Amino acid sequence: MQTMKNTSNIKFLVMGLLTLGACTGEGITTDDPTLPPATEQPGGTTTGGDGNTFDHDNSGVSAWDLIDRLQKEGPPKYTSRMHSCPKVKYSAIGNILASRGVDISGAGGALSAGGLYQSGNNALGVADYSNRIRENLVISTSGASRLFDIFAAAAPEVIAAMPNLEACKVAGVSSTMFGVDAQNTAYCRAEGIACLTGAPATGTAIDLCNLTLQKATNPTVGKNMAVAVLMAAAHTCE
Amino acid sequence: MKSTSTFLVVSTLVLLPLASACGGSDTKNEQTFDANPSDPDAALPADEWDQRLSQRDYNYNAALRIAALRLTGALPLMDDVQAVVNAADNAAKKAVYEAMVTKYMTGPQFAQRMMGFWRDTFKMGGSVELDTAPAFAAQLTVENRSYMELFTATAGNCPTMDFAAGTFAAGDCASGAPGNAGVLTNPGVMKQFFSNFAFRRVKWVQEAFVCTKFPAEFAATPVDVGNPTNLYTGKYPFESIAGTASGGRIDFRDVSAVICANCHSNMNHIAPLFANFDGTGQYKNTISVPTPLDGASLALITDYYPAGETTAWRLGAPAANLTELGAAIAADPAVAECAVARTWNWALGKTDIVDTLQQVPKSTISSQINAFTTSGYKLKDLVYAVYTSDDFTKF
Repeated sequence: MQTMKNTSNIKFLVMGLLTLGACTGEGITTDDPTLPPATEQPGGTTTGGDGNTFDHDNSGVSAWDLIDRLQKEGPPKYTSRMHSCPKVKYSAIGNILASRGVDISGAGGALSAGGLYQSGNNALGVADYSNRIRENLVISTSGASRLFDIFAAAAPEVIAAMPNLEACKVAGVSSTMFGVDAQNTAYCRAEGIACLTGAPATGTAIDLCNLTLQKATNPTVGKNMAVAVLMAAAHTCE
Repeated sequence: MKSTSTFLVVSTLVLLPLASACGGSDTKNEQTFDANPSDPDAALPADEWDQRLSQRDYNYNAALRIAALRLTGALPLMDDVQAVVNAADNAAKKAVYEAMVTKYMTGPQFAQRMMGFWRDTFKMGGSVELDTAPAFAAQLTVENRSYMELFTATAGNCPTMDFAAGTFAAGDCASGAPGNAGVLTNPGVMKQFFSNFAFRRVKWVQEAFVCTKFPAEFAATPVDVGNPTNLYTGKYPFESIAGTASGGRIDFRDVSAVICANCHSNMNHIAPLFANFDGTGQYKNTISVPTPLDGASLALITDYYPAGETTAWRLGAPAANLTELGAAIAADPAVAECAVARTWNWALGKTDIVDTLQQVPKSTISSQINAFTTSGYKLKDLVYAVYTSDDFTKF
């Protein structure tokens, strides 16, 4: 019964999406001979031609995309009660970097973490209010690429700064990202991972961090990679 | 750098399920779920989605990270993280978490985040002029005032914000309108959404505050008005808006492609109220918005509706001016529900409720709607209620 109800709702929604309104007017002309006159628009259309200003905004969700989304993610009664995975807002990325010891001014050069952050505003989907566009909440391929580049570039700064970061102190005691065991082998510290991610370190995160250290060509590269990997994983989603 | 990024992408895919709060792929065959008694869905048998919801458990540290990022724009302090970790049980963790949320909702960072939220909601900002509407909404939120002031405030409706300090300075909108009515007489709004017939302003009000695109109202029984494949679904009489037959220059009664009146029956009764604001957002004594006709001549009232019709928010909710429109909007239950739904979607990380049809069933937010409507539409209380709800803290 529930399935039937959901299907009916979807059908109704599709019908609604396909019947958005448009109107015709006198004296409206178009210079594009491939388009029908405004008064002879095909059924269901709400779009005018280049030669007139009679267009409607048809930038809504495709009915078929919506059906696909509902089938993949589940009905709204379920999805509305689950957290989604929006990208971290541009300003929050800056706050995260700065609070973890990264100079986000860009003074370090175009390829520094700060430089990549400062020049990455468009890739990271900032708002364009002049065109009535809000900040994008969905991470794009270019946005993810830029974000990961930023974290890779930021890693050395974060590692160096962590012992002095107020945000990462627990009861006044500093956190460090890496320790050295009795065999003089570097390992990842849970407190450091928590500092990077903003949540207690999970066993999987610790394992991945240590694996990254072990597989790297040298310890310095391994540490940088480990930090970048953890930050990228944690902060792809807000 | 390229190989590093590739490695990060692969690693992220490995770790993403840990960071993501989505999911619940594990399906246990539990027969009961914690349904809200007021939920209309509760009468239906539990299905797989109910079972998945019932399998969630509290994770206050995950909730803390999300709450900190959304409410302050920063990660939680390690002391805050550890305080939740160290709490003895879920009841203790809940108490610590709720204290943290209260802390996050105090201070300039919260004001900054609310400014960002309202800029995105209103799709405007970035200049003094275009920031006053989102600043007003942010001020109402930070000061826990009524959401309905957005439509009814007769003074102080164009504040400015010191972004760094997170403070607001009072200011009245100076659009020249006969009376102020919250954001409805905000010159920045009128400028940002200037268009033919003032329809973009009407669309903005509908989408920002009702959370749906037009059509706004549906009759119980659609009727054939000349195109049997497309019925008229509006509540107003079909002839209540202008067409060429009534002397209008645009045929809003056209039925050849689709039924224009399905949307325009409401739009044409609202738009004249915004039509006296010109392209700079200033109120004039006559209609000051153009038409799409050749020469872009100014609109006439007879283009909207025939003689005898009047402006209104909805059929049966007349509004002779913007003050009355604001009162009618504030009295519309759909507006309060939209405010809750928008706040809910923001907290749960959803995309825009209108642009991407991220609708929230009323049953999901019924307790928040009830609290919001019965306690004076207090915005800050609403934010707190959503961020401390079971759905926010369960994963």
